[in-house]
Amino acid sequence: MPISKFWNIIGDMSIQNKLRLKFGAIIVLTILAVLTAYPKTVESIPFLYNFFSKPEINLGLDLQGGYRLEYEVDTSGVDDNKKDDALQAAQDVLERKVNATGTSEALIQTVESDPPRIIVEYPGATSADDLKSKIKETPYLEFKEEKNEEEQQAEIEKYNEMFASSNEEAKNKAQEKLQEIKDGKSFGEVADEVNGDATSGGRVDDLDFVKKDSMLPELNEVIFEKGLADGETYGELVETDYGWNILYKAEERGEGDAREIHIKDISFQKQTAEMYRDYWIYKETGLTGKNLKDTAVVFTSQGLSEPQVQLKFDGEGKDLFAEITKRNVGKRVAIYLDGEIISAPTVQTEITNGEAVITGNFTVDEAKELKRRLNEGALPVPISLVSQQSVGASLGKLSLEQSLKAGVAGLIVVGIFMILYYRFLGLVAAIALFIYAAMMISIFKLSGTLSNWPITLTLSGIAGFILSVGMAVDANVLIFERIKEELKSGRGLESALNEGFRRAWPSIRDGNYSTIITSLILIWMGTGFIKGFAVILVIGVLFSMFTAIVIVKIILNFVAGKWLEKRLWLIANIKQDK
Amino acid sequence: MINIIDKRKYSYIFSGVLVITSITLLLVWGLKLGIDFKGGTLMEVQFSSNQALEETAENSEAENSEEFKAPTRDEIIEKLKDLNLESLNVQESENNSAVLRYIGSSEDVNEQVMEKLTEFDGSVEQTRVDFVGSSISKQLKRNAIMAVILSVLGIALYIAWAFRKVSYPIPSWQYGIAAIVALAHDITITLGIFVLLGKFMNVEVGVSFIAALLTILGYSVNDTIVVFDRIRENLIKSSKKEDFEKVVNKSINETLARSINTSLTVMIVLVAIVLFGGESVKYFSVALLIGVIFGTYSSIFVASALLVTNYRREQKVKEN
Repeated sequence: MPISKFWNIIGDMSIQNKLRLKFGAIIVLTILAVLTAYPKTVESIPFLYNFFSKPEINLGLDLQGGYRLEYEVDTSGVDDNKKDDALQAAQDVLERKVNATGTSEALIQTVESDPPRIIVEYPGATSADDLKSKIKETPYLEFKEEKNEEEQQAEIEKYNEMFASSNEEAKNKAQEKLQEIKDGKSFGEVADEVNGDATSGGRVDDLDFVKKDSMLPELNEVIFEKGLADGETYGELVETDYGWNILYKAEERGEGDAREIHIKDISFQKQTAEMYRDYWIYKETGLTGKNLKDTAVVFTSQGLSEPQVQLKFDGEGKDLFAEITKRNVGKRVAIYLDGEIISAPTVQTEITNGEAVITGNFTVDEAKELKRRLNEGALPVPISLVSQQSVGASLGKLSLEQSLKAGVAGLIVVGIFMILYYRFLGLVAAIALFIYAAMMISIFKLSGTLSNWPITLTLSGIAGFILSVGMAVDANVLIFERIKEELKSGRGLESALNEGFRRAWPSIRDGNYSTIITSLILIWMGTGFIKGFAVILVIGVLFSMFTAIVIVKIILNFVAGKWLEKRLWLIANIKQDK
Repeated sequence: MINIIDKRKYSYIFSGVLVITSITLLLVWGLKLGIDFKGGTLMEVQFSSNQALEETAENSEAENSEEFKAPTRDEIIEKLKDLNLESLNVQESENNSAVLRYIGSSEDVNEQVMEKLTEFDGSVEQTRVDFVGSSISKQLKRNAIMAVILSVLGIALYIAWAFRKVSYPIPSWQYGIAAIVALAHDITITLGIFVLLGKFMNVEVGVSFIAALLTILGYSVNDTIVVFDRIRENLIKSSKKEDFEKVVNKSINETLARSINTSLTVMIVLVAIVLFGGESVKYFSVALLIGVIFGTYSSIFVASALLVTNYRREQKVKEN
């Protein structure tokens, strides 16, 4: 039957029949809602029970226990146009991690903010330690290349400038100590002083017997050319690239090529840009853990067989790696793991097969462990845990029970109140309230199956739901007060009913708008507690308008008739002539 | 008919005192902010619970050396002294559990705290660990302030729009102003009461409190609008000569039953949550309860009364 024909038939129906149809629709709706909300009512009929018990309420963390972890993603080192990619890759990695712990219900989402965050919700878990340590061990892998000459020069200047004053201080210290020796203290005494004072910044070394030309040239010259006597301290500071040295010749033995001198040394370190080369020499290449396809442990074929970790890149990674190796032939490419260099091999030739190896003096176990970590996913950007919320499962269950109890108690007392105050009208409202509750629970259950927006019921959501019960009644109260007024002013029952609904409508509408406005703002603000509350409040307000206005009106129109007209005391204290 | 408008002087005094007290409390003591807005850690731990055994142990002193007694607040603070936790606060609660709060939120610190607590009781359990980093708490604070501002703005615009056609005998924006004054009144008093709750019962306000505040905003305006709607309707019905004051008073009386009944039903469910809903939503509901009570009161005694006061003042200006 074409739909238009269907509507024609309805259009042709008498008012009475239309009302019957509507009433029938409400009964069907109620039965469906009750069955969905509480399938146990048909437990004895298996096929119905099985059908209706399938949808379940999606409970939030606070009702079933679990964890919510919030990670901040540091994308500061990534180019702006690559940030989204990096974030997505990080999320994928975490997803794999979480799935590896065996919970598929975990929810992972990215939050756009500055810096961006990734939220992992992990319901039902009794402990987040497992997941947290899994995430914590997620490697952050990065390939870096050397900066160009100009950039290097700039870094060197920057570092040397930074070290100038501390170097000056070290030199003065050294000078001071040398002066003490010159003023009569023995080398041994001063050495002990330096050793005993951790803050002195100096260190004492017994270099034992050294051969000619086995030392830095600056030291070599003093030791072998200056003709020091045994037990003599050289009278000047000896400066090398690494610091300032006070040299002491203990004794000497052998002749010619076999000549050896026993040297002791007090040195004060110099800091140079060169020493921190690893910190500043490398820059990002864009090749990170997100481009890893596979990892394996392999063994070197030459010499002692050492374990290495072999990396295989995906398509993008392969191209990137080829470019990187091409422009860095003869230079080093550093492999960073968790922010530290684990190896920095020199590129011999362009590598186009998308494979690289990490050699890092691994034991076999270490190599295997690293392989496992890398295979579970390496992060393209560092992340850190910034917030955690957890609810014990027992506490969650208790909260659920308590709030259900509160909801049922609230419903019953409100129903009783309505019946006592509004008598017959109140009874209808109480029934409508019952239908409302069943519908809301059905919506919670069906939201996941019927739409893309599954509603997660949280504690705050239940609070919103219970509050909406109170508000649902408001519309009825407004209408009933109007109906009573109209009856008192002498109208007949039918017209009083219609008039009551018509005139209460603007107030109901205006009042509910304001609740909806604030709820929408809450949803927009939305995290956790607030969002759950506001979403359900909005749905509640919309559906409560539906029950209070549409359902109550149909029921009243259907059941009200001559019998009620004669017994207006069932509605209010109204003097009747008859 | 009760003549409510005539007695508006008393409601002004009552409300004035409450609002001024609340503002003073806010300025002097301020709200007790929770970790949502301050950043930090909240840890709930459960020590072995054997209350029944404890009682018998008291009778037969120290016979069972294995008997376990949960550490007191002071003992816990003493134990954790070495960790130098910033603004550590320990609360004992029922069933041998305790709630610890401190600023600073790193996993290492949390682990150290747990280690220390294990020294009291090997089977101590963490029932809850929440922590909020400072970047998040700052953002939450910003969002909360934004939400309140946007809500007030949205509602003000909405009222101005809803009453755009009513301009007799006072301009439509005055309805809006009256509604917003009533709303500010409800919010301020709720805040004031929570300052007291924070001061004397350690009730902290977090994100949920903001949700409650915004709901109060919505509710308070809802309630005021219903009364104003009736005034609007009665103004249209009445011959224009009828006294504005009388129209307002009549409208209040006509909506009185509705106002009280609606508030009662909402209060019934809120009381149900406070009584049975468990600790986590208790103060959320308390905030709503306070807001609903004052929201109902203010739509009658503040918002509607203000309409008349404004009307009177304009009349006087005209006469002079």
